[in-house]
Amino acid sequence: MNDFSLLLPEFLVAGLAFFILALDLFIKENWKRYLVWVAFFGLAVILFVSLFIESEGQLYDGLLEFDEFTKFFRIFFLIIGGVTVIISREYVDSRLKYPGEYYGILLFTLLGAMLLASSAELLTAYINLELLSFGLYVLVGYERYNPKSNEASVKYILLGAFSSALILFGISQIYGLLGTTRFDEMSVAFSSLSSISPGMAVGFVLIVSGLGFKLAAVPFHMWAPDVYEGAPLPITAWLSVGSKAAALALAIRLFSEGFISVFGELQPILIVIAAITMVIGNLLALVQKNIKRLLAYSSIGHVGYLLMGLAALVPIAKTGSVAETFTNLVYNGLLFHMVSYGFTTMAAFLCVITVYNKTGRDDISAFAGLSKRQPLVALVFVCALFSLAGLPIFVGFASKFYLFNAVGGQGLLWLVALAIVMSLISLYYYLTIARQLYIENSEDDAPIAVSFVTKLTLGGLFGVMIILGIYPAFLLEAIQRATDALISGNLLSLV
Amino acid sequence: MSIDILTGANAAWLIPALSIIAFPTTVFLGRFLPGKGSFISILAIFLGFILFWFVLFDFLSGNSVPLHVDIDWIHIGFWKITWGFLVDRISIVMLGLITFVALLVQIYSLQYMKGDNRYGWYFSLHAFFAGSMLLVVLADNLLFLYFAWELVGLGSYLLIGFWFDRRSAAEAAKKAFITTRIGDVGLLIGIIILFKATGTFHISSIIHAAQNGGVADSTIFWSSLLIFLGAMGKSGQFPLHVWLPDAMEGPTPVSALIHAATMVAAGVYLAVRMTPLFELVPEVQVTVALVGLITFIFAGVVALVTTDIKRVLAYSTISHLGLMMLSVGTGAVGAALFHLVVHGISKALLFLGAGNIMHATNDATDCWSFGGLKRKMPITTGIFLIGSLSLAGIAPLSGFFSKDEILGSVYQNMGYAFLIITLVGGFISALYMSRIFLITFTGDPRTDFAQNAHESSRIMLLPVVMLAIVAFFLGMVAFPMWDFNGFSAFVEQGYKFHIIPWLAIVSLMVAILGLLTGWVFYYKSLLSHRAMASRFGLFYRGALVGFWVDSIYEFIINRVVLALGRLIAAFDRIVVNDTGIDGSGKSVLLSAFKIRLIQTGKIYSYGTAMAFGVFLAVAVWWVF
Repeated sequence: MNDFSLLLPEFLVAGLAFFILALDLFIKENWKRYLVWVAFFGLAVILFVSLFIESEGQLYDGLLEFDEFTKFFRIFFLIIGGVTVIISREYVDSRLKYPGEYYGILLFTLLGAMLLASSAELLTAYINLELLSFGLYVLVGYERYNPKSNEASVKYILLGAFSSALILFGISQIYGLLGTTRFDEMSVAFSSLSSISPGMAVGFVLIVSGLGFKLAAVPFHMWAPDVYEGAPLPITAWLSVGSKAAALALAIRLFSEGFISVFGELQPILIVIAAITMVIGNLLALVQKNIKRLLAYSSIGHVGYLLMGLAALVPIAKTGSVAETFTNLVYNGLLFHMVSYGFTTMAAFLCVITVYNKTGRDDISAFAGLSKRQPLVALVFVCALFSLAGLPIFVGFASKFYLFNAVGGQGLLWLVALAIVMSLISLYYYLTIARQLYIENSEDDAPIAVSFVTKLTLGGLFGVMIILGIYPAFLLEAIQRATDALISGNLLSLV
Repeated sequence: MSIDILTGANAAWLIPALSIIAFPTTVFLGRFLPGKGSFISILAIFLGFILFWFVLFDFLSGNSVPLHVDIDWIHIGFWKITWGFLVDRISIVMLGLITFVALLVQIYSLQYMKGDNRYGWYFSLHAFFAGSMLLVVLADNLLFLYFAWELVGLGSYLLIGFWFDRRSAAEAAKKAFITTRIGDVGLLIGIIILFKATGTFHISSIIHAAQNGGVADSTIFWSSLLIFLGAMGKSGQFPLHVWLPDAMEGPTPVSALIHAATMVAAGVYLAVRMTPLFELVPEVQVTVALVGLITFIFAGVVALVTTDIKRVLAYSTISHLGLMMLSVGTGAVGAALFHLVVHGISKALLFLGAGNIMHATNDATDCWSFGGLKRKMPITTGIFLIGSLSLAGIAPLSGFFSKDEILGSVYQNMGYAFLIITLVGGFISALYMSRIFLITFTGDPRTDFAQNAHESSRIMLLPVVMLAIVAFFLGMVAFPMWDFNGFSAFVEQGYKFHIIPWLAIVSLMVAILGLLTGWVFYYKSLLSHRAMASRFGLFYRGALVGFWVDSIYEFIINRVVLALGRLIAAFDRIVVNDTGIDGSGKSVLLSAFKIRLIQTGKIYSYGTAMAFGVFLAVAVWWVF
């Protein structure tokens, strides 16, 4: 017996997407710029609904699982999706045609992301991943007359297809060896084995590679800078937050429900990937001249930190007696840092978009003297950069501290030390931008006008960065509920 | 959030909250409002003062359990930090003192600061300063207290340097900030030591653990000393007192506030709050008492020869803070707190009186330039007289009672040597108060502007008169009345009110002797103070410059600290910067340029990298 009310928010998002596409057909050309508000307020209503409905249970015989973890990610995606819509407004108005399709497709990718967080079976997860990806392929190439956008889209499609092939191949390996693709049954099958066979390891590696592509983990990251540079800016923001968070949600659920009993054996793979991702991402960010490429590499660096958390889901010392709270701590740290990274990145991208809309430039020197031309944007931008670098009082500090502390508690101290060194390096390139903002003079001193909606959004994101940085307790409570749902019954059996 | 948090003592958190909210409101909205938003700040502190009475009566009417509210702030694993408020008897006394004095000072400032360019900013700073001080006294854990403590430091910096376009004001603000920072560093280290030892920042838990032998004696010793160092810095104890006389560069109402209710009171409050800890190690108690006694005498002597009226009051403040610390050192926290309140009221009164004089005489401060003001400014003269007599310790003014309790405690806990020195200090106190009063208000006007002085306007007199009334009658609360067992017993559980009659008479005699001596020198001129000065030439000149403490600091900073700094700077430039930083920075950048070559922009190389990644991952699994 399926209770479809569990899927209510997803249905509503799909309905909203179709509604916008349909509306686009019928309304007059000059009314279309109001479609953004349909999308935004629609998402607001859905967010409101998701906050208050009870949704616990399974659908389709356990292919989709709904718990506090799902709810947490669903709400996170809805908020980030809403922010993406609102920061797209001026960009779409001024540079893109066909707003109806833009918002419609964006909502479909949001739907894919939301469903990924509840997927509890490999093929279901794959389909949802493709739902997310297909929309993004289109959106990346949405600037049709911009060759860079086209190039980005082609690269993204070809490499995305390659990564899909990897995932599918991995799934077939797992299915062939275990006879199931459901996370819970995988866990049971694994726990009866004394050790895993090479075939299973290959299957795991292939799935991780596919997810690594979505997350832009090194060496599956090569597409990211090119695509980030070519894609329309709001889509770049959505790529670096929404799509990554979706892959992360899937990875967390897959690892802690499917692979948990053999995770210790597979851990070195993740540790190595995390380490090289951190190093390569942060080092290459040092030499970038284009703000989008710089943010791409910086986000790769942040993925490195998140992967470090993923690798530390179980403690490295396999002595058998492990405090449960410590494991919970890593989960909390992962989600906390993801949320912190998400909001901060959105703030940074909004600043870049605002400047790009007015000047059409996206090299770092375009931001020279911004503090005089547009003090509010400069302020929010510099705060976002400080938050990304992990300076107090911003949320980036709190979440980084939390995550690093948790990973250190798991025994991966050398990895934490590496992460701290990389954070230090990252401060250099963040400060190069801050220098442009506040110290360098621009040749053009004309003030940049900013619309009221943008100011409001900037203020909101700024507030989130500060408030979560000073008083993260209420977010951590929500995170604790989400991770409790995931951990109960999964980890205790291992310990 | 239940309705509970808004009733009675539970509402205490609102008192600082109001002023803290008033700060940004005045800053951002003040310029659009009449009076530059000054009324917001005054309203906030006024409501705080009203709330104080609710809290007090709630407390007196049986709800006498200290109230404790806690909010989770950071919670990582087993490690938890909270923000919490503690409303107990000590904090209630402080709440009353702070809100009352701050309120009157702000009302006074309405007129005093009229016409200033940054009128609105001045009042928002007042709200900020009062709010952070109120936080200090309500904080239930040391970390929170430290935050608020630093905010108080910042507030004092901004207010002392309010006229920062005057070089001397900017210098004075810097001096105050840096000097108190020395103490603050000690405080921070002390707090960290205690946290390491007990795993908590909660004051009551720390004290509880220490009392039950949960903390090593040496730990208590060092942390207590370091915390006391913090109190010394804020409360201007010798030798960290140097910032206080210079702090006169701020507007006079600010001096009144700093000297009475906020900045310097924080140090005494902290010492009182931590006394249960200090008491565990007798050496600390003696140190506190000694530092207090030295400060008491030292600052009193300097006040005897200073001629700037505000600086005399400043040294008098230092001296009386010393007396309070002495009281803390003898274990009489009730008496210390009582003297803090009494002195706070009297000193605010004197400073505002001095403000009236300056307002009337074109900002003159040298007392020899006044003279004969009693005919020009009768009300100011009257209230100044009340303040002076109160501080000199003349019955039945409030200062007599608080000093008497301290003397009693010194006598009982420290013996005759301490008692006699303290009495000498009392003599000095009375002498400089009578000196400054007689020079300023009696005789003939010595200058034109003293001749043309006029009484201040009503809005400036109102706060001063109210302070005078309180200073006059406040001594009564020392006595038990009805259910109330006297002030000290209110603060200090188990304290029994008593008077040692002979000691009270001796102390009164000493005070009167001091006044008479001043009368002989400066009114009747039976003896020449100039002859005295030349007789003790070196001593006199030493006292005039505060016994060279500033010069010693200057010498240490110029010769020792700067030389060390240059040495370290050279090391930093050559070894750390050129080799370490630049070297590692260049190598990181170089490697980044090398790695960048992988990013070719060709799809097939990207695909190859991915395939390579798969093989690498499998290899990692194989190897480990």
